[in-house]
Amino acid sequence: MKARTVQADAPPVVTVQGLVKTFRRAGRWPWSPHREVPAVQGVDLRVAPGEVVALVGQSGSGKTTVSRIVLGLEDPTAGAVLLEGQPWSELPEAARRPRRVHYQYVPQDAMGALDPQQTALEHIVETLVVLGGCPRGEAGPRAQAMLERLGLGARLHALPRELSGGEQRRVTLARVLALDPRLVVADEPTSGLDPDRRESVLEALIGNLPPGAGCILVTHDMSEARGWCHRVLAMLAGRVIEEVDLSVAEPVHPYARILFDPWSAPVPRGPLATTGCPFRPDCPLAVGDLAARCAAEVPTLRTVGPAAHRHRVACHALSADRPSSPAPAAP
Amino acid sequence: MEPLVVLEGLTIRAPSRLLVQDVSLEVQARRVTALVGPSGAGKSLTARAAMGVLDVEPGLERGSLRYPALGPDDWFRGVAGGGPRAQRRLLVATRHLRGAYVSYSPQAASSALNPARTIGRQLQLAIGRRAQAPSALAGEIRALLAEVGLGPEVAHALPGELSGGMAQRAALAIAIAPQPRLVIADEPETGLDPVLRRAVVELLVTVCRTHHAGLLLISHHQSTVDRIADDVVTLPPPPGAGEAP
Repeated sequence: MKARTVQADAPPVVTVQGLVKTFRRAGRWPWSPHREVPAVQGVDLRVAPGEVVALVGQSGSGKTTVSRIVLGLEDPTAGAVLLEGQPWSELPEAARRPRRVHYQYVPQDAMGALDPQQTALEHIVETLVVLGGCPRGEAGPRAQAMLERLGLGARLHALPRELSGGEQRRVTLARVLALDPRLVVADEPTSGLDPDRRESVLEALIGNLPPGAGCILVTHDMSEARGWCHRVLAMLAGRVIEEVDLSVAEPVHPYARILFDPWSAPVPRGPLATTGCPFRPDCPLAVGDLAARCAAEVPTLRTVGPAAHRHRVACHALSADRPSSPAPAAP
Repeated sequence: MEPLVVLEGLTIRAPSRLLVQDVSLEVQARRVTALVGPSGAGKSLTARAAMGVLDVEPGLERGSLRYPALGPDDWFRGVAGGGPRAQRRLLVATRHLRGAYVSYSPQAASSALNPARTIGRQLQLAIGRRAQAPSALAGEIRALLAEVGLGPEVAHALPGELSGGMAQRAALAIAIAPQPRLVIADEPETGLDPVLRRAVVELLVTVCRTHHAGLLLISHHQSTVDRIADDVVTLPPPPGAGEAP
């Protein structure tokens, strides 16, 4: 899949700058004070045309929130999202609506996203007519062609409950891909599937993305990130702690390494620190002279290794102590 | 030491095809037997059969199920080839064993817990399956929660108020509450992130070891199996493997 050409010099499909999101949660009782829950605390992200970017991290690290804000399903507390170079997150909904068709979402729960009374083919036709503005006569053959491309040619008239888990996912993928999207955000599209079925779902998604479309893949499965993504962003406590292209470098942040190989080190006992580096309490590197700095200062992403690798890590111990270059353009 | 469960020559048939063919496994106390295989290979069916639960038709064709630590009986005698009626009789006959001698830790913990009962109440019911009631129930519940790394306040929580990892831990506490000799865990890692996945599996093994219980673990993750299993039973791919629903 790495065969997908990334137009690194073209204007990015997605530009996220300084994204912050704080949720206000009601207290236990109606009269209890609201709690502020910081979900995302300053994320920058670029996705170039043709690029597939993985967001990985533990539950609660903010991956889903970032992906929802990119699509305009939530509004950021601070920061901005630009899609295809145009303002997006600050626009009113009326201005966003005509563009939404280009930016599509693949849900986690395929069965919940499908209409139990519509066949696979009807799902795609309906989408093409309603969202794609396609005349009904044309929509049928186009929908059928898309389902056949995803290997569902024999299941055109099956209802969701007659489809297997993998087939249901592929219907949701066909529905998204039929619209010729310029950005696809997939939130754990393979969760709940057996590992042997995951590959085929990812292949259907990434293998059929229109050329030049960007893709953000939220995932728990590091082998997916390795096999299918140009770049991986590891998140912890609402921040990106490492950005790495796995074809040229391996993760170096101690927490990112645990994410990639949980058996490589003792399981972090948590809880995360609320000041300084969140991973500090479990970090083998936050010792000695560094400990005070790790406790006081939140590490920012800095380049490690050759500049061409675009490998960045947020760790006081790992990145050379030099001022971070002004946000290098991501590939 | 007597094995906790011995399953031999298990063969289960659906109307159109064989679901499980000639599978044998055994679990020893304080040891981990992993059951692996591709999807549709019959892992869950095999694990359920090891608890005396058979619910496909026509069902059990051949095989024997013994709990040598309890006695020499073959629970599948008269059930093999007997069809649904015999399977229902087996279900009733082995009912007193489930949740006492053998307990089950489900795949999707958050949906397998009773949403309308607090974790404490569910633990209390599970403790009630013990042969001997503990002297101090509240202390026992606290101890069980502490053992799986949960605070005592979780006893008052409903399953919906717990995160995925906490729900999995609570389900594990419920599974070990009756002090079973054998724990069957059906993909306890499903839906968890990699770090939690490891934590939950490690906890499962530790808890089973401290209670001298045997563990039959269904897993999809080779890395997990490599690290913790003492014995591995690999099921072959289903005959004529297509995408089964």
